[in-house]
Amino acid sequence: MTAATLTGGRLHRRNRLGLVLHQVRYEQLSFWRNPQSAVFTFVFPVVFVALMGALFGGVGKSAYFGGLSALQYYVPTIAALCVLGSCYGQLAVALAARRQNGILKRIRATPLPAWVYFVGLLAHCVLVSLADIALIVGVGRLYGVPFPSQWLAIALTLVLGAASFCALGVAVASVISNAEAAPAVAQLVLFPLLFLSGTYTPIHSQLLNRVTGWLPIRPFNEALTGPLARHTGPDWRHLAVLAAWGVVGALVAVRRFRWDPRPE
Amino acid sequence: MHPELTEAPVPATAGVTHGQSDAITVAGLRKSYGSVQAVRDVSFRVRNGEIVALLGPNGAGKTTTLEILEGFRARDGGAVAVLGLDPGDKAAARELRERTGLVLQDIAVEPYLTVRETIARQAGYYQAPRGVPEVIGLVGLAGLERRKVRTLSGGQKRRLDLALGLVGGPELLYLDEPTTGFDPAARRGAWDLIRALRAAGTTILLTTHDMAEAQALADRVVLLSSGAVVAEGPPAGLGGQDGERARISFTLPPGFPVTGLPVPAGIHNGAVVIETASPTAELHRLTSWAVQCDVTLSGLTVERPSLEDVYLRLTRDGAPAGAPERSKR
Repeated sequence: MTAATLTGGRLHRRNRLGLVLHQVRYEQLSFWRNPQSAVFTFVFPVVFVALMGALFGGVGKSAYFGGLSALQYYVPTIAALCVLGSCYGQLAVALAARRQNGILKRIRATPLPAWVYFVGLLAHCVLVSLADIALIVGVGRLYGVPFPSQWLAIALTLVLGAASFCALGVAVASVISNAEAAPAVAQLVLFPLLFLSGTYTPIHSQLLNRVTGWLPIRPFNEALTGPLARHTGPDWRHLAVLAAWGVVGALVAVRRFRWDPRPE
Repeated sequence: MHPELTEAPVPATAGVTHGQSDAITVAGLRKSYGSVQAVRDVSFRVRNGEIVALLGPNGAGKTTTLEILEGFRARDGGAVAVLGLDPGDKAAARELRERTGLVLQDIAVEPYLTVRETIARQAGYYQAPRGVPEVIGLVGLAGLERRKVRTLSGGQKRRLDLALGLVGGPELLYLDEPTTGFDPAARRGAWDLIRALRAAGTTILLTTHDMAEAQALADRVVLLSSGAVVAEGPPAGLGGQDGERARISFTLPPGFPVTGLPVPAGIHNGAVVIETASPTAELHRLTSWAVQCDVTLSGLTVERPSLEDVYLRLTRDGAPAGAPERSKR
């Protein structure tokens, strides 16, 4: 993003908003028509929550799950997992592929400002995450998890988490050079961290929790668990850690992002 | 360097001669990748409303030159002006992108949108785009508007790609090997479209390594070899004096030696070959002699050197520049 594209002298404020919506619209169209996205976004969370419900549906509030029922524990962590999947995983892979086949270069050749392109992507990812969370909360309800009440806190956490993981996704796409490596690299970082951050099972190691508390996933899990399962407001401390990671991702992305498939 | 080459019009007064009539001026352009000089010394100009072809073998520096003009790569030296603006200047980038269009070598279209949606999305990026149905008609995709991009054939995708380059209504259009992968009919169609765009006032700079394409389309050809311009001019006159030399060839019946002919001649692959700068007079002498001696000159042909002959001769000496046209991914 250069200064020139950011100023965008000839565009009026209204046109810019229109352009962002234009971008979001086509990102959405393209996304929902891809059967792979539909599977990952709809089927995966539903199956996952249902699976956890079948396994742990009878486990009531317990110390093992931090004073929550098993499903109350899993609804937020699976929601976080889905946001991660669409904002970080799919974005990194999609951008690497778009760069490789020249789509990014072609967009770069149009007057579309770079920031509109990225804001459009972010808005698209937030929308997908919203659909995911609604779905997960809905399925969770079937297993006796009460509806949350802190919608504003959920929205805030969701947007901040989506923005941070989008930034990290773009950063990863910037650092890896070819599309074939993208899924592997994205997952390589993600999977161990998901386990260690308590996404699949609670972690009771103080040391581990302290370490993962400074990495991006656990703070997001915690920040979502508050409003989704405990009816508490925004979890500022964890949101701050998340935002810091978002800033790191954005800095790497701004410095390293390439539109051209071929390096200089 | 080749002494017989027509001189490119720009170099001496580099950067100063840019007038209203020039869409592009390039003077003394240089670009290296590490130790590899992809572009050593390239100077040419493209006047408004012209079709100019950058012609040359792989690694000649065509794509690098084009990418510097498009603003994708920074130059190491030389002066460049595109529509009066410097593509290396970030402040000019936005206006240049508004006024130019490009079609890349690779097909760059997303699979899950329809033809119409793909073009409409691109149209939304411009201040004054062409109409979507108009563009669909121009590239010959009418009737396929609702087809998903991934169900299109390779040639249809190429045409969609071209549509994306056109939809902004560019004054200047860059085409990087526009008909690669087209069948002969589709290629003719693309040529007609490119000519129609020129007729509508669009300036076109294209790269190709296809001589027939350069000959058919271009008002002028800039021939690159090893990162430098080795010839420049209308396709028919390319190669300077040599363009004027004709080659007369025929076979003599047995018993007639070449030395008996009224003009100096050689033998090549069993045929008599006469290279001459004045084919009319030589032909007259030959045919008069043949009629007198009652000899049939079978397979008699008069040819001018084709652009391909000129191309091969001019690019032969230049060893490949080492800079691969497209790096491995």
